[in-house]
Amino acid sequence: MDTNERDPLFDPLRADLARMDTPRGVEKELMQAFARHFPRKRPWYRALPARAWALAGALAAAGLACALLVAHLDPGAREAGAGALMTRGDDGGLFIALEPIERIAREPAPRMVATEVSRTSLATLGVPLTPENAGDSVRAEMLVAADGQPLALRLSSFN
Amino acid sequence: MTTTSSPSDTDLLRQLRSGAADAFAALYRRHQGPLYRFALLRCGSAGTAADVVQETFMGLLTGRFAYDPLRGQLQHFLFGVARNLVLKQEAPQRQAALPANGDDDEDEPDVAASGACPLARLLEHEAAEEVRRALALLAPHYRDVVILYEMHDLSYAEIAAICQVDIGTVRSRLSRGRAALAQRLAGWRSASTV
Repeated sequence: MDTNERDPLFDPLRADLARMDTPRGVEKELMQAFARHFPRKRPWYRALPARAWALAGALAAAGLACALLVAHLDPGAREAGAGALMTRGDDGGLFIALEPIERIAREPAPRMVATEVSRTSLATLGVPLTPENAGDSVRAEMLVAADGQPLALRLSSFN
Repeated sequence: MTTTSSPSDTDLLRQLRSGAADAFAALYRRHQGPLYRFALLRCGSAGTAADVVQETFMGLLTGRFAYDPLRGQLQHFLFGVARNLVLKQEAPQRQAALPANGDDDEDEPDVAASGACPLARLLEHEAAEEVRRALALLAPHYRDVVILYEMHDLSYAEIAAICQVDIGTVRSRLSRGRAALAQRLAGWRSASTV
C-alpha cells in the first residue's frame, strides 16, 4: 500500500518541469511518419493516369460522332416505336412494319385491306398522340398475310 | 447541458490502427508531457529525452512495441518503453564506468547524468536545480523509482510494473533513494551556509 506522502522537497522541481513539453518538431516528425505508415487511399478515378483519361475521352467523342453520323445519314428511320419499324414515305404517309422486313418479304400472297385505326392504338406503335387528337381515327391500309396475320400498316392521311 | 468525455486510450489506439491521424495526434498530446519530463530527469539531456519520446511513439505507431490493454494503462506501458530506451542508450557508458558493482549500491553516481547537463540551464529555480542535481547523482535504478513516485504520482504497484521488479524492491529503492537525496542535499546546504 502507498501510505507515504509525496516529498515536498520535490515541489520546486515539479513546478519547474510542469512547463516543459517535448519540442514541437517531434510531433511534426511523428505525424510525417504516420502519413508514410498509412498512405491515403486515392479514389479510383484519381488513380487513373492522365493518358487513360485522354483515351477514354477520345473514345467517347468518337462514339458520339458515329451516332450523329448514323442519324444524319438515315433521318427517317426509327422515328419511334415499341418494336415496330416506322418510316415516312415521299408522300408524307407513314409506313409501320408490324413484322420483321424479312418476314414481310417472304410472304407469298400478301393483300392490302383498307381500314380505320384509332390513334390510341397507333400510340402503342410509337405514333405521337396528343390530347386533342386522342379520340380520332386514321384511315389506313393494312398489309395482311394469306393466313390473315397483319404484316404492316400504311397511314396515307396521317399528319 | 451536455458533457463530452474525451475518448479513452484504447479507443484512440483502435482508431490509430485504422489510420486515423487525429487519434495518433491526440494520444501523443495526451502522453508526451509526462514521458518527456520522465526521460529528461532520467537521462539529463533534452535532446536525448526528445529522441526517447519520438522513438517510443514511433514504436507504438509501427507496432514495434506492442501494447496489451489487459496488462495495464497505456501511460505505464509508455513509461516502461521510455525507461528501456534510456537504459539501452546508457548501456555502453554504464559498462565502461561501472564495472561489477552491486545492484543496489546507492552511492554509485550515474556518469552520464551527472556531467554537464543542458537541463541545468533550463531550470531557473535554485532549489529545483539542487534537487535535480542530487537526483542525477543517484544510481539509475533508484532514480527511476524516485522520479516515477515523486514526480508522476504513481503507486508502488505501477512502478513495479514499469520497472519490472516486485513491490518490495520498489519500496526499498524508494526509501534508499530518498535517504541518499536527503543526505546529499543536507551536505550541500550545510556547505553553502558555512
